[in-house]
Amino acid sequence: MPGYKSIDRIQTVTASTFDRLVLKGEGPIVVEFMSYGCAHCGVIEPDLQQVAEIVESTEKFFRVNIAVDRELSEQYEIQGTPTLIMFLNGAELGREEGPSPDVSNILAVVRQPYES
Amino acid sequence: MQIRLQSAPILLFNDECGVCRSIAHWVKKQVQAQSGTASIVVRPIGQDPEELRALNQGLNIWDAYATIHLLMPDGSMKLGGEAVAEVLRHLPSTRWFTWTFAVSVFGIRPFQAILNLAYVILADVRPVFGCESCGTPSLWVRPIRWMVNWVASLFGKSHHPSPHFTSLPASGRPPQAQNI
Repeated sequence: MPGYKSIDRIQTVTASTFDRLVLKGEGPIVVEFMSYGCAHCGVIEPDLQQVAEIVESTEKFFRVNIAVDRELSEQYEIQGTPTLIMFLNGAELGREEGPSPDVSNILAVVRQPYES
Repeated sequence: MQIRLQSAPILLFNDECGVCRSIAHWVKKQVQAQSGTASIVVRPIGQDPEELRALNQGLNIWDAYATIHLLMPDGSMKLGGEAVAEVLRHLPSTRWFTWTFAVSVFGIRPFQAILNLAYVILADVRPVFGCESCGTPSLWVRPIRWMVNWVASLFGKSHHPSPHFTSLPASGRPPQAQNI
């Protein structure tokens, strides 16, 4: 499938690293709750990689694979995939379920909570 | 990175899709019915991109979920209808008719083309048969999907407003990766 780059700009976090990397992480942090078997996640992946590259200097991007880390999915009451949650200093500022696969839209979604 | 050498082709299947699991289960049963060494190894795609790359360096996990992949012992990969044809060639109950897929008329392989089309149709209709993780159905399948959703809504099953979203099962559990 075209669009998938070899460089992965989104680091995978697990239940054991979530606390350290996300909750205790500095600055704006975006976490995508996803699954590789979710076709919608596959569709937004190239756009998400692009957005992660654009906001690299200000926001960190992580992914949680809910097929592997179920506790995190239940803890954050994930209803489906993909779900983006925007964190700041460990607190959830906003979330978006099923964003449109479009760079400008995703960019607006991940920036909006930090602007208000 | 070390590449594992396999003597038999590896059929990767989407373990989050009921239709795919059923087909993989059928293939596995056919393989087990054979005596001697397994002619095909059937395994779920799983959730580890690195593990897949260890099987074939050119294999991307997103691609693996998007289309059926058969990893050949020589390091090549067969996709879609070509993968299905190759699987059928390796099964004792189906190999008798697989010579038809090689028949060429004016450079076109009609039986292979029919198989390719059948694969595309099956892949398209999977969401209707309960594979919500398979994504947004193709245009021609959408009316069927809308009808199914409408009937479901009559029984009180709500649907997420975003068309780019895969709802988790009602139990609240993520789609479960299963081995067959």
